[in-house]
Amino acid sequence: MSIISFKQVHYTYPGDELESLCGVDLEIEEGSFVAVLGHNGSGKSTLAKHMNAILVPDSGEVIIDGISSRDEDKTFEIRRRVGMVFQNPDNQLVANVVEDDVAFAPENLGVPSAEIRTRVDEALRQVGMYEYRTHAPHLLSGGQKQRVAIAGVIAMQPKIIVLDEPTAMLDPQGREEVVSTVTRLCREKGMTVVLITHHMEECIGADKLVIMSNGYIHAVGTPREIFSDIEMMAREGLAVPETTKLLYELHNLGYAVPLDALEEDACAAAVAGAVKQ
Amino acid sequence: MLKDITLGQFFPGDTIVHRLDPRTKLILVFLYIVALFQANGWVGYGVVTAVTALCMLLSHIKPQNIFKGLKPMLFIIVLTALLNMFYTEGREIIPGWHMTWEGLARSVQMILRIVLLITGTFLLTYTTSPIALTDGLELLLNPLKKLKVPVHEMTIMMSMALRFIPTLIEETDKIMSAQKARGADFETGRLTERAKALLPILVPLFVSAFRRADELAVAMESRCYHGGEGRTRMKVLRLETRDWIALVLGVLFLAGMIVLRRFAL
Repeated sequence: MSIISFKQVHYTYPGDELESLCGVDLEIEEGSFVAVLGHNGSGKSTLAKHMNAILVPDSGEVIIDGISSRDEDKTFEIRRRVGMVFQNPDNQLVANVVEDDVAFAPENLGVPSAEIRTRVDEALRQVGMYEYRTHAPHLLSGGQKQRVAIAGVIAMQPKIIVLDEPTAMLDPQGREEVVSTVTRLCREKGMTVVLITHHMEECIGADKLVIMSNGYIHAVGTPREIFSDIEMMAREGLAVPETTKLLYELHNLGYAVPLDALEEDACAAAVAGAVKQ
Repeated sequence: MLKDITLGQFFPGDTIVHRLDPRTKLILVFLYIVALFQANGWVGYGVVTAVTALCMLLSHIKPQNIFKGLKPMLFIIVLTALLNMFYTEGREIIPGWHMTWEGLARSVQMILRIVLLITGTFLLTYTTSPIALTDGLELLLNPLKKLKVPVHEMTIMMSMALRFIPTLIEETDKIMSAQKARGADFETGRLTERAKALLPILVPLFVSAFRRADELAVAMESRCYHGGEGRTRMKVLRLETRDWIALVLGVLFLAGMIVLRRFAL
């Protein structure tokens, strides 16, 4: 069953002439890991902001866990179901101490004090930041700050986590920390994860990959299907993972290799098989 | 240079002063200030100084940290002392000079008053985390909500401001470096020139502060922030026995000072 569904969503930012979303249809299944890929200005952040009613469509409808985002009385209900993590970690942490920041959302929800304490400890353990609970956020690294932001969202106990380019300001190590944390949350805790990004490598583990371009959804499929269509990716100006590129070049040279071996091990095995022949 | 800002600085610790409830400490500081202004003789000032020193000892705050905080006030302290020394009527120390014995005594008392005033408030901010301080303030001002004073909004603004001080300082450093790399000069020239040189720092700083505020607002709303109504807290403040003892001692101290004032000691 789909937990988020977009039906013919159109949206134009006030004062803009061009539509940012031009009739988007999208279904996101409960418990799945969905990655949204697109270059700058493709509408992927606008898409994300529709998922917790920060933006409401001009026409069409967004339904989150059975609630339409048009229903203003239910905005609060939508937001407690959908946790959002944004690009800049500095601008989403509200407190001077890590654990106070994580407690912010449950405090807003009116959760009893003792339960907030257990939720906060639990959330910090899940992202591996429990030892840092009394630190000041501005002394942490980018990846650590972003994991605190994720903990702040988990403490709200949402069904869905939407991450809007959470790795754009991080170094490779920080990116790895964030992506492995959200992947684990999806696989082990059954949360629905929507990851907006422009890094190919982060999409490999997703169940479903959505390619956005100029406000349209250009392609939807598994990462294997999408990445093996190298011509389409090139037309969209999107790079494919190194593994796919290697296999594609080999394929063009006449080697019989599969194009959809995304993981490094699978790719190595495919190349070894071709060499043996 | 920007790293030296002591505003909102907090030295974590585990002394009796640190453990007191922030509300108790806020009330005590208020009592302390009123008591300080009751002092009008040497005995009175002596008592306040002794009490302040005792609190410093109990809180393990090093005197050099207090001095560091006093530095920006040095000019005002010296000016007040000089004015009092020359503008008080009485017996002249050196005939023909407008400097009097009474004036000298008064300046010393003035210096003591200012220094003790600042020290007392520093003891509060040095031993209380900003979050605890704003929480305490919100609870103390709670009755004002009945008069439609936006207490919650004011305290959340205060804690946000404190949260963003280090972030904005970092940003200012970055912008300054960027301007220096392009040949900007902040250190030489007349005062007006130096003030003008600061403009290219302030403009980008303001622009980015507004952008940050906008993003922060969206992030807060996404985490279900909807004002103070129906909000709970992770850390509930509770007055312990030590808080009541401290409050009683504070009131006794103030009463003692009022008695001393009666006798002009």
